[in-house]
Amino acid sequence: MRIDRLVSPWAERVPDRVAIEGVRETLTYRELDRLANRFAHALRAAGVEPGDRVGVHVPRSPRTVAAMLGASRAGAVYVPLDPGSPPARMQLVARDCGLRHVVITPGLLAGWIAAGVQEPVERFLLAEDGAVPALPAPGRVHPWPEVQAASADPLPPPGASPDELAYLLYTSGSTGVPKGVMLSHRNALAFVDWACDAIGLREADRVASVAPFHFDLSVFDIWGSLSRGATLVVVDEGMVASGRAMVDRIQARGITVWYSVPSAILLMLENGGLADRGAPSLRAVYFAGEVFPVKHLRRAMAALPQARFYNLFGPTETNVCTAYALPGPPPPEATAIPIGQASCGDVATVVDPEGRPVPDGEVGELFIEGPTVMLGYWDGGRRTPARHPYPTGDMVSRRPDGELMYHGRRDHMVKIHGFRIELGEVEAALLAHPGIQEAIAFAVEQQLVAVAIPSQPSLSVLEVKRHCAARLPRYMVPGEVRLVQGLPRTSSGKIDRVRTRNAVVSGDTALLAPALRAEPRKEP
Amino acid sequence: MEPRVRADIRRYIVATWLSGDDRGFDDETDLQQSGILDSFTTLALIGFLDDSFQVQLEPAEINADTFRSVSRLARLVVQKLEQREKTGA
Repeated sequence: MRIDRLVSPWAERVPDRVAIEGVRETLTYRELDRLANRFAHALRAAGVEPGDRVGVHVPRSPRTVAAMLGASRAGAVYVPLDPGSPPARMQLVARDCGLRHVVITPGLLAGWIAAGVQEPVERFLLAEDGAVPALPAPGRVHPWPEVQAASADPLPPPGASPDELAYLLYTSGSTGVPKGVMLSHRNALAFVDWACDAIGLREADRVASVAPFHFDLSVFDIWGSLSRGATLVVVDEGMVASGRAMVDRIQARGITVWYSVPSAILLMLENGGLADRGAPSLRAVYFAGEVFPVKHLRRAMAALPQARFYNLFGPTETNVCTAYALPGPPPPEATAIPIGQASCGDVATVVDPEGRPVPDGEVGELFIEGPTVMLGYWDGGRRTPARHPYPTGDMVSRRPDGELMYHGRRDHMVKIHGFRIELGEVEAALLAHPGIQEAIAFAVEQQLVAVAIPSQPSLSVLEVKRHCAARLPRYMVPGEVRLVQGLPRTSSGKIDRVRTRNAVVSGDTALLAPALRAEPRKEP
Repeated sequence: MEPRVRADIRRYIVATWLSGDDRGFDDETDLQQSGILDSFTTLALIGFLDDSFQVQLEPAEINADTFRSVSRLARLVVQKLEQREKTGA
């Protein structure tokens, strides 16, 4: 199967069913199918050739999906661009993958122009009505009515092989330079089909679109719901900043399936009143992208007793490669939950630094082989193929019952004074304190630093250290503990480790505002 | 003299290892159980005592008991300062 062919069968069978419910716009399956064809014709008319990359720089909406589907039907490789990223970063991406065409909103295009960013893009297709601006460099802007006027008839299918490149996702990479991950139709649909089958996704389902489209979680939302004739309900960029707005949206629109980073669920618990209000329509909750602290997971599961929860795991390079269906809330003594077993037809092995499998119970790197392993990195057109099996850079161990446990990123393993320290373990110990809401740890030179958001203003640095000293070997007790009001986030909502560490190193107190302090209760 | 020594040591520890947060910390706080002192931070503290009070500790004096709390450390420092005054005089 291919992404470009997923929607048409539903457009024939149930043309009037709502395919995508946006905030201002709703598209039925027939409307989506026809609008995607119009985008495909308009892109071809603007010079797009099969195999070209097409950028889609449009806030999450039904039209954004139509543009990606249209690019795919035109035989192009779609590249979702982050509406929240500065134009200079978009230009790095555009140069890396040689974007000549970008579907964009007039507002975002104005940002590119104001920043003097355009090259290498030659043609912009507007996805909304708006004034057609003058470009800084040679090129052309195609106004929205031009797309609307394009033919809605299907183009000849662009290709037959599911192994062709379907889309590029740019990840920030540890160095901060964006890396284009090449994913084929098979890569995407191996995960999508597995995830749909695991929860029995059906036509009556209403699937939330919470994750940004440049983030791999969205691959399930979009193509999972549209491949099963279900309805995709957009929870847009404005809503995901507010727990209350997200809970409102779930309740008002009867969302049944949710897939997000744990941080988004935590936000609904913290300021959305999820624990009191509940969300009875939700029947399945997938989460991925970062560790879900078990104490918060228990709260989420208590708030949504009718929903099944699943921990999905995998870097963008393998989409999702392991999964764990929670049998129930984690028991009181549990400090972590498994990432489960290989999923999506993948095979998982745990290996030592020489590549030899390690015995059960020992920590090693997770290697993945199977249909979700990316084609490779775009890498400025050099197309560096993926290594097989793919070394994920994630450290795991296998329990006797076969479930894999996560121990953190290989590059989160630091050495301080010769001691090997797994930062994930330090973070788990920090989070075990009831007064700590969120926390991360990292090394700065030869010092272990913890940055934590307290849930009570009475939490003191001494208390945090004492707590760690009671649980960890002395060399793993953070030398420096910062209590802060908030942590910087990535565009996908995860804690931004790089920016947090940089702020500590540079002493940036604007980014890491100290938490409010209150005297702790006197100890007995 | 001892109150001043105590205050200096306390201030150094709070600034260096407690990010300036002195809540809950006093002269009797157990420096090991609270995760403040390990072999490396102990070395730094020994250096601080040398720099601030010109007090050098004998290897035998560097033990868990001496480094239990600010008050024990201050007592040792004051002892050594007084000894030096006597022998110097």
